[in-house]
Amino acid sequence: MKKETITAIFFGLLFGGIMAVFISLKSKDIELSKNKVIAPPKEKSSTNLNGLEMQPLEISEPANNAIFEKDIIRFKGTAAKDSLIVIQSPIKDLVVKNTQGKFDLEFPLALGENSIKIVIYPKEKQFRPQEKYMKVYYIDSEL
Amino acid sequence: MKNILRNTFLVSYVIVLLIGQNVVAQTPSATASSSPTVVVDKDIQQLKDKIANKVSEIRKENNKAISGFILSVDGNNMKLDNTGDVNQVKFDDTLTKAFKVLGTTKKEIKTSDITKGDYAIVSGVVADNVITANVVLIDENFLVDSGKITEINKDTYNIKVLTTDKNTYSLDIETGTKQYMINIKTLAREVIGFSKLKEGDMIHFVVKKTSEQKNKDHSAVKILIIPQEYFIK
Repeated sequence: MKKETITAIFFGLLFGGIMAVFISLKSKDIELSKNKVIAPPKEKSSTNLNGLEMQPLEISEPANNAIFEKDIIRFKGTAAKDSLIVIQSPIKDLVVKNTQGKFDLEFPLALGENSIKIVIYPKEKQFRPQEKYMKVYYIDSEL
Repeated sequence: MKNILRNTFLVSYVIVLLIGQNVVAQTPSATASSSPTVVVDKDIQQLKDKIANKVSEIRKENNKAISGFILSVDGNNMKLDNTGDVNQVKFDDTLTKAFKVLGTTKKEIKTSDITKGDYAIVSGVVADNVITANVVLIDENFLVDSGKITEINKDTYNIKVLTTDKNTYSLDIETGTKQYMINIKTLAREVIGFSKLKEGDMIHFVVKKTSEQKNKDHSAVKILIIPQEYFIK
């Protein structure tokens, strides 16, 4: 094989490789920029016939299916001001008025699974109650 | 020839010298003081602690809990019906502990005592859709729900409840059923009798579920009434 042919093959491979790497990186960037985050739509606040809006029930703590090593947890979240909060589990009924809008309530857990239902009865009677259901687990660390 | 021999010797000498020096450098000095060893031991201990903490953190992150009625138990494998999904559980002879929950206490049992139809709560690490159980708790399954009382039968002590997701439950109020009502002024929970229940009241209830039960007829464990007067005050 001639020296010129070998040089041509060498440079051909070199430039081809550089181009392939460049194109691959560029197409990845374009693909990433085209991707959009898929997130659940934000919960809409309910509106009554008079156009009044009600703050939706949101629970920041605890998370559904969470595991705890202590038998007391705190329910934290937000709900409509002056609504009635009812939190029920097989071992506890908690009924409080949500005077602030935000709530932070202590709640006991039984060993193992705790099925808990949270219901908010709004002060404005034309609104429907809001509900959330969750399971949390208390697994003693000594087990 | 002489030159070759001389060079070979010279190169061999240099190599032996270099290797020899390295070996001497790696051999711990017998006269070295004990303080560097203590520092190394401390470092090793710190590293061990860090690794242990990290392992514990990862275990905690991967630790999951599932629950459901037992579909089958076969040696060290168990299948759970987790509200329609079937979960595979593996017992580890050295790791898995099983308990029966008796109210507020628990009693240790053998995994061989676990039977089909029991309600199990399993905590462990999930890998390839199989949970290796650290702890298995055999307990009762409770359903907690709420709705409006639509019908009261005073002869059979039975009530019908319509929930917000349009399910109708038939609840038997037994002598053992804990019955409470909210005082609409103080919001305190007061003990009541069956006669206090009215159609239109909101009710929060707890019932026990078994693996055989498929309908929505239950014996109530506990009820909490929010009287309709609370909503019209």
